[in-house]
Amino acid sequence: MTEEEPRLSARELIDRLEPALAARTRVRAVAALVAGVSGTLFVTALWAGEPGPLPVRTHLAFGLFIVFCLAWACYGGWLLARRVPLFATDRVVAGWIGVTASVVTTVATAVAAVQRGAGLGTALALGGLLTAVALALTVRAHARRAALLRRVRELSGRDGA
Amino acid sequence: MTDELLVARAQLGERAALAELVERWRTPVWTYVRRMLDAERADDVTQEVWLAVIRGLPGLREPGRFAPWLFTIARRSVTDRLRGQYAAEEARSPDVSPSADPAGSTADSAVESAVESLVDRAELVALVAGLPVREREILVLFYLEDLSVEDCAQICGIPAGTVKSRLSRARRLLRAHLEEKGYRP
Repeated sequence: MTEEEPRLSARELIDRLEPALAARTRVRAVAALVAGVSGTLFVTALWAGEPGPLPVRTHLAFGLFIVFCLAWACYGGWLLARRVPLFATDRVVAGWIGVTASVVTTVATAVAAVQRGAGLGTALALGGLLTAVALALTVRAHARRAALLRRVRELSGRDGA
Repeated sequence: MTDELLVARAQLGERAALAELVERWRTPVWTYVRRMLDAERADDVTQEVWLAVIRGLPGLREPGRFAPWLFTIARRSVTDRLRGQYAAEEARSPDVSPSADPAGSTADSAVESAVESLVDRAELVALVAGLPVREREILVLFYLEDLSVEDCAQICGIPAGTVKSRLSRARRLLRAHLEEKGYRP
Protein backbone atom coordinates (compact mmCIF):
# COMPACT_ATOMS: atom_id res chain seq x y z
CA MET A 1 0.00 0.00 0.00
CA THR A 2 1.39 3.42 -0.92
CA GLU A 3 0.85 6.54 1.19
CA GLU A 4 -1.98 8.66 -0.18
CA GLU A 5 -1.72 12.41 -0.63
CA PRO A 6 -4.43 15.08 -0.86
CA ARG A 7 -5.50 15.52 -4.48
CA LEU A 8 -5.78 19.29 -4.13
CA SER A 9 -2.59 21.33 -3.78
CA ALA A 10 -2.55 24.20 -1.30
CA ARG A 11 -2.88 26.66 -4.20
CA GLU A 12 -5.91 24.81 -5.63
CA LEU A 13 -7.51 24.63 -2.20
CA ILE A 14 -7.05 28.37 -1.63
CA ASP A 15 -8.43 29.07 -5.14
CA ARG A 16 -11.55 27.10 -4.25
CA LEU A 17 -11.94 29.12 -1.04
CA GLU A 18 -11.55 32.36 -2.95
CA PRO A 19 -15.31 33.14 -3.34
CA ALA A 20 -15.69 33.21 0.46
CA LEU A 21 -12.68 35.53 0.78
CA ALA A 22 -13.44 37.89 -2.11
CA ALA A 23 -13.79 41.58 -1.20
CA ARG A 24 -17.04 41.88 -3.17
CA THR A 25 -18.64 39.19 -0.96
CA ARG A 26 -17.82 41.22 2.17
CA VAL A 27 -18.91 44.51 0.59
CA ARG A 28 -22.21 42.94 -0.49
CA ALA A 29 -22.92 41.61 3.01
CA VAL A 30 -22.05 44.90 4.75
CA ALA A 31 -24.04 46.90 2.17
CA ALA A 32 -27.13 44.68 2.64
CA LEU A 33 -26.99 45.10 6.43
CA VAL A 34 -26.32 48.84 6.40
CA ALA A 35 -28.88 49.62 3.68
CA GLY A 36 -31.50 47.41 5.35
CA VAL A 37 -31.07 48.95 8.80
CA SER A 38 -30.86 52.54 7.48
CA GLY A 39 -33.90 52.01 5.26
CA THR A 40 -35.88 50.55 8.17
CA LEU A 41 -35.01 53.51 10.38
CA PHE A 42 -35.76 56.09 7.70
CA VAL A 43 -39.16 54.64 6.75
CA THR A 44 -40.14 54.03 10.41
CA ALA A 45 -39.31 57.64 11.30
CA LEU A 46 -41.29 58.93 8.30
CA TRP A 47 -44.26 56.73 9.18
CA ALA A 48 -44.19 57.66 12.87
CA GLY A 49 -43.88 61.38 12.01
CA GLU A 50 -46.82 61.55 9.61
CA PRO A 51 -48.78 64.61 10.78
CA GLY A 52 -52.30 63.68 9.69
CA PRO A 53 -54.38 60.48 9.58
CA LEU A 54 -53.34 58.22 6.70
CA PRO A 55 -55.41 55.94 4.44
CA VAL A 56 -55.14 52.20 5.10
CA ARG A 57 -53.31 51.66 1.81
CA THR A 58 -50.56 54.11 2.84
CA HIS A 59 -50.15 52.33 6.19
CA LEU A 60 -49.89 49.05 4.28
CA ALA A 61 -47.29 50.54 1.92
CA PHE A 62 -45.18 51.82 4.84
CA GLY A 63 -45.48 48.43 6.56
CA LEU A 64 -44.46 46.52 3.44
CA PHE A 65 -41.51 48.81 2.81
CA ILE A 66 -40.28 48.29 6.39
CA VAL A 67 -40.62 44.51 5.99
CA PHE A 68 -38.63 44.76 2.74
CA CYS A 69 -35.85 46.75 4.45
CA LEU A 70 -35.83 44.41 7.44
CA ALA A 71 -35.49 41.43 5.11
CA TRP A 72 -32.34 42.99 3.59
CA ALA A 73 -31.00 43.78 7.07
CA CYS A 74 -31.59 40.19 8.20
CA TYR A 75 -30.00 38.83 5.04
CA GLY A 76 -26.89 41.01 5.54
CA GLY A 77 -26.73 40.06 9.23
CA TRP A 78 -27.03 36.38 8.37
CA LEU A 79 -24.30 36.65 5.72
CA LEU A 80 -21.94 38.33 8.19
CA ALA A 81 -22.76 35.94 11.03
CA ARG A 82 -22.67 32.66 9.07
CA ARG A 83 -21.25 32.97 5.60
CA VAL A 84 -18.77 35.81 5.15
CA PRO A 85 -15.60 36.00 7.22
CA LEU A 86 -15.04 39.56 8.42
CA PHE A 87 -11.46 39.82 9.67
CA ALA A 88 -10.33 42.38 12.26
CA THR A 89 -9.34 45.07 9.74
CA ASP A 90 -12.54 44.47 7.73
CA ARG A 91 -14.57 44.96 10.92
CA VAL A 92 -13.00 48.35 11.55
CA VAL A 93 -13.81 49.44 7.98
CA ALA A 94 -17.33 47.99 8.23
CA GLY A 95 -17.80 49.78 11.56
CA TRP A 96 -16.95 53.18 10.07
CA ILE A 97 -19.22 52.50 7.09
CA GLY A 98 -21.97 51.77 9.62
CA VAL A 99 -21.25 54.98 11.59
CA THR A 100 -21.27 57.07 8.40
CA ALA A 101 -24.48 55.47 7.16
CA SER A 102 -26.22 55.93 10.51
CA VAL A 103 -25.21 59.61 10.74
CA VAL A 104 -26.37 60.26 7.14
CA THR A 105 -29.66 58.45 7.84
CA THR A 106 -30.20 60.40 11.06
CA VAL A 107 -29.56 63.74 9.32
CA ALA A 108 -31.82 62.83 6.37
CA THR A 109 -34.59 61.69 8.71
CA ALA A 110 -34.25 64.82 10.87
CA VAL A 111 -34.34 67.11 7.80
CA ALA A 112 -37.49 65.35 6.53
CA ALA A 113 -39.08 65.71 9.98
CA VAL A 114 -38.25 69.44 10.18
CA GLN A 115 -39.65 70.07 6.68
CA ARG A 116 -42.93 68.39 7.64
CA GLY A 117 -42.97 69.95 11.06
CA ALA A 118 -43.47 66.69 12.95
CA GLY A 119 -41.57 63.64 14.20
CA LEU A 120 -38.21 65.29 14.90
CA GLY A 121 -37.98 63.68 18.34
CA THR A 122 -38.63 60.19 16.96
CA ALA A 123 -36.13 60.73 14.14
CA LEU A 124 -33.40 61.89 16.52
CA ALA A 125 -34.10 59.14 19.05
CA LEU A 126 -34.00 56.34 16.47
CA GLY A 127 -31.03 57.85 14.63
CA GLY A 128 -29.14 58.42 17.88
CA LEU A 129 -29.73 54.82 18.93
CA LEU A 130 -28.51 53.50 15.56
CA THR A 131 -25.43 55.73 15.64
CA ALA A 132 -24.63 54.67 19.20
CA VAL A 133 -24.83 50.98 18.24
CA ALA A 134 -22.63 51.57 15.17
CA LEU A 135 -20.09 53.50 17.28
CA ALA A 136 -20.02 50.78 19.94
CA LEU A 137 -19.36 48.12 17.27
CA THR A 138 -16.61 50.28 15.75
CA VAL A 139 -14.92 50.85 19.12
CA ARG A 140 -15.06 47.09 19.77
CA ALA A 141 -13.60 46.39 16.32
CA HIS A 142 -10.72 48.83 16.96
CA ALA A 143 -10.04 47.24 20.36
CA ARG A 144 -9.98 43.75 18.87
CA ARG A 145 -7.66 44.83 16.06
CA ALA A 146 -5.35 46.61 18.52
CA ALA A 147 -5.23 43.49 20.74
CA LEU A 148 -4.36 41.32 17.75
CA LEU A 149 -1.65 43.74 16.59
CA ARG A 150 -0.16 43.73 20.11
CA ARG A 151 -0.18 39.94 20.14
CA VAL A 152 1.44 39.79 16.70
CA ARG A 153 4.21 42.16 17.88
CA GLU A 154 4.79 40.07 21.03
CA LEU A 155 4.91 36.81 19.11
CA SER A 156 7.08 38.28 16.31
CA GLY A 157 9.55 39.52 18.94
CA ARG A 158 9.62 36.08 20.54
CA ASP A 159 10.04 34.41 17.14
CA GLY A 160 12.86 36.79 16.21
CA ALA A 161 14.67 36.39 19.56
CA MET B 1 6.69 31.05 12.65
CA THR B 2 4.33 29.61 15.28
CA ASP B 3 0.71 28.67 14.56
CA GLU B 4 -0.44 31.31 17.04
CA LEU B 5 1.39 34.08 15.17
CA LEU B 6 0.06 32.87 11.82
CA VAL B 7 -3.49 32.68 13.18
CA ALA B 8 -3.30 36.18 14.72
CA ARG B 9 -1.99 37.60 11.44
CA ALA B 10 -4.70 35.76 9.48
CA GLN B 11 -7.32 37.13 11.91
CA LEU B 12 -6.11 40.63 11.09
CA GLY B 13 -6.88 39.88 7.45
CA GLU B 14 -3.42 39.04 6.06
CA ARG B 15 -4.03 36.77 3.08
CA ALA B 16 -0.43 35.52 3.02
CA ALA B 17 -0.74 34.29 6.62
CA LEU B 18 -4.02 32.57 5.80
CA ALA B 19 -2.45 30.87 2.78
CA GLU B 20 0.47 29.69 4.90
CA LEU B 21 -1.92 28.34 7.53
CA VAL B 22 -3.81 26.38 4.86
CA GLU B 23 -0.50 25.11 3.43
CA ARG B 24 0.72 24.01 6.87
CA TRP B 25 -2.46 22.24 7.98
CA ARG B 26 -3.79 21.00 4.64
CA THR B 27 -2.25 17.53 4.88
CA PRO B 28 -3.00 16.88 8.59
CA VAL B 29 -6.67 17.80 8.06
CA TRP B 30 -6.88 15.69 4.92
CA THR B 31 -5.17 12.77 6.71
CA TYR B 32 -7.74 12.85 9.51
CA VAL B 33 -10.66 13.11 7.08
CA ARG B 34 -9.26 10.39 4.80
CA ARG B 35 -8.68 7.98 7.71
CA MET B 36 -12.33 8.47 8.68
CA LEU B 37 -13.95 8.52 5.22
CA ASP B 38 -13.46 6.96 1.80
CA ALA B 39 -11.25 8.57 -0.85
CA GLU B 40 -14.23 9.85 -2.89
CA ARG B 41 -15.55 11.97 -0.04
CA ALA B 42 -12.23 12.99 1.57
CA ASP B 43 -11.40 15.86 -0.79
CA ASP B 44 -14.90 17.36 -0.73
CA VAL B 45 -15.13 17.14 3.05
CA THR B 46 -11.64 18.63 3.43
CA GLN B 47 -12.72 21.59 1.31
CA GLU B 48 -15.89 21.93 3.40
CA VAL B 49 -13.78 21.89 6.58
CA TRP B 50 -11.53 24.69 5.30
CA LEU B 51 -14.53 26.77 4.30
CA ALA B 52 -15.90 26.44 7.83
CA VAL B 53 -12.44 27.26 9.25
CA ILE B 54 -12.21 30.45 7.19
CA ARG B 55 -15.71 31.50 8.20
CA GLY B 56 -15.02 30.83 11.86
CA LEU B 57 -11.43 32.10 12.05
CA PRO B 58 -12.26 35.78 12.79
CA GLY B 59 -14.18 34.62 15.88
CA LEU B 60 -11.50 32.27 17.27
CA ARG B 61 -10.67 33.71 20.71
CA GLU B 62 -7.56 31.65 21.49
CA PRO B 63 -5.20 31.61 18.49
CA GLY B 64 -2.85 29.39 20.51
CA ARG B 65 -5.51 26.65 20.55
CA PHE B 66 -5.84 26.54 16.77
CA ALA B 67 -5.16 22.81 16.29
CA PRO B 68 -7.92 21.49 18.62
CA TRP B 69 -10.34 24.06 17.18
CA LEU B 70 -9.44 23.02 13.62
CA PHE B 71 -9.95 19.34 14.34
CA THR B 72 -13.22 20.06 16.17
CA ILE B 73 -14.51 21.55 12.90
CA ALA B 74 -13.10 18.64 10.89
CA ARG B 75 -14.71 16.15 13.25
CA ARG B 76 -18.08 17.90 12.93
CA SER B 77 -17.98 17.50 9.13
CA VAL B 78 -16.92 13.86 9.42
CA THR B 79 -19.57 13.13 12.06
CA ASP B 80 -22.23 14.56 9.76
CA ARG B 81 -21.24 11.95 7.15
CA LEU B 82 -20.97 9.07 9.64
CA ARG B 83 -23.94 9.90 11.87
CA GLY B 84 -25.44 6.45 11.33
CA GLN B 85 -22.25 4.63 12.27
CA TYR B 86 -21.69 6.71 15.41
CA ALA B 87 -25.27 6.12 16.56
CA ALA B 88 -25.09 2.37 15.90
CA GLU B 89 -21.82 2.02 17.83
CA GLU B 90 -23.13 4.12 20.71
CA ALA B 91 -26.17 1.84 20.98
CA ARG B 92 -24.09 -1.33 20.66
CA SER B 93 -21.30 -0.55 23.15
CA PRO B 94 -21.46 2.47 25.47
CA ASP B 95 -18.09 3.72 26.74
CA VAL B 96 -16.49 1.91 29.69
CA SER B 97 -14.43 3.95 32.14
CA PRO B 98 -10.73 2.98 32.27
CA SER B 99 -10.90 2.02 35.95
CA ALA B 100 -13.58 -0.56 35.18
CA ASP B 101 -11.21 -2.39 32.86
CA PRO B 102 -7.92 -2.98 34.73
CA ALA B 103 -7.16 -6.32 33.05
CA GLY B 104 -6.46 -4.66 29.74
CA SER B 105 -3.60 -2.47 30.98
CA THR B 106 -0.76 -4.99 30.44
CA ALA B 107 -1.96 -5.84 26.96
CA ASP B 108 -2.31 -2.10 26.30
CA SER B 109 1.30 -1.30 27.07
CA ALA B 110 2.49 -4.20 24.90
CA VAL B 111 0.39 -3.18 21.95
CA GLU B 112 1.17 0.49 22.45
CA SER B 113 4.82 -0.14 21.65
CA ALA B 114 3.75 -2.05 18.55
CA VAL B 115 1.48 0.83 17.49
CA GLU B 116 4.21 3.36 18.11
CA SER B 117 6.70 1.34 16.12
CA LEU B 118 4.22 1.19 13.27
CA VAL B 119 3.13 4.77 13.46
CA ASP B 120 4.81 5.93 10.24
CA ARG B 121 4.01 2.88 8.26
CA ALA B 122 1.32 2.19 5.73
CA GLU B 123 0.28 -1.04 7.52
CA LEU B 124 -1.02 0.97 10.43
CA VAL B 125 -3.17 3.02 8.08
CA ALA B 126 -4.73 -0.13 6.64
CA LEU B 127 -5.32 -1.59 10.11
CA VAL B 128 -6.82 1.62 11.45
CA ALA B 129 -9.35 1.65 8.61
CA GLY B 130 -10.83 -1.57 10.01
CA LEU B 131 -11.56 -0.12 13.47
CA PRO B 132 -14.97 1.18 14.61
CA VAL B 133 -15.34 4.95 14.01
CA ARG B 134 -15.15 6.09 17.65
CA GLU B 135 -11.93 4.17 18.34
CA ARG B 136 -10.55 5.03 14.92
CA GLU B 137 -10.97 8.79 15.39
CA ILE B 138 -9.24 8.74 18.77
CA LEU B 139 -6.37 6.67 17.39
CA VAL B 140 -5.94 8.98 14.40
CA LEU B 141 -6.06 12.14 16.52
CA PHE B 142 -3.74 10.78 19.21
CA TYR B 143 -1.15 8.93 17.11
CA LEU B 144 -1.31 10.29 13.57
CA GLU B 145 -2.09 13.92 14.48
CA ASP B 146 -0.02 13.80 17.67
CA LEU B 147 -2.63 15.56 19.80
CA SER B 148 -2.78 15.26 23.59
CA VAL B 149 -5.51 13.36 25.46
CA GLU B 150 -6.91 16.72 26.61
CA ASP B 151 -7.04 18.03 23.04
CA CYS B 152 -8.70 14.78 21.86
CA ALA B 153 -11.26 15.18 24.67
CA GLN B 154 -12.02 18.76 23.59
CA ILE B 155 -12.30 17.80 19.92
CA CYS B 156 -14.62 14.85 20.55
CA GLY B 157 -16.58 16.61 23.31
CA ILE B 158 -15.99 13.79 25.82
CA PRO B 159 -14.16 13.53 29.17
CA ALA B 160 -10.42 12.73 29.15
CA GLY B 161 -11.20 9.43 30.91
CA THR B 162 -13.41 8.38 28.00
CA VAL B 163 -10.61 9.25 25.56
CA LYS B 164 -8.28 6.95 27.53
CA SER B 165 -10.82 4.12 27.56
CA ARG B 166 -11.40 4.47 23.82
CA LEU B 167 -7.65 4.54 23.21
CA SER B 168 -7.30 1.43 25.33
CA ARG B 169 -10.02 -0.37 23.40
CA ALA B 170 -8.56 0.83 20.09
CA ARG B 171 -5.15 -0.58 21.02
CA ARG B 172 -6.67 -3.92 21.96
CA LEU B 173 -8.60 -4.10 18.70
CA LEU B 174 -5.44 -3.15 16.85
CA ARG B 175 -3.51 -5.83 18.74
CA ALA B 176 -6.06 -8.41 17.62
CA HIS B 177 -5.68 -7.25 14.01
CA LEU B 178 -1.88 -7.25 14.31
CA GLU B 179 -1.90 -10.80 15.65
CA GLU B 180 -4.19 -11.89 12.85
CA LYS B 181 -1.57 -10.59 10.44
CA GLY B 182 1.15 -12.52 12.23
CA TYR B 183 2.75 -9.60 14.09
CA ARG B 184 3.93 -10.50 17.63
CA PRO B 185 4.78 -7.60 19.98
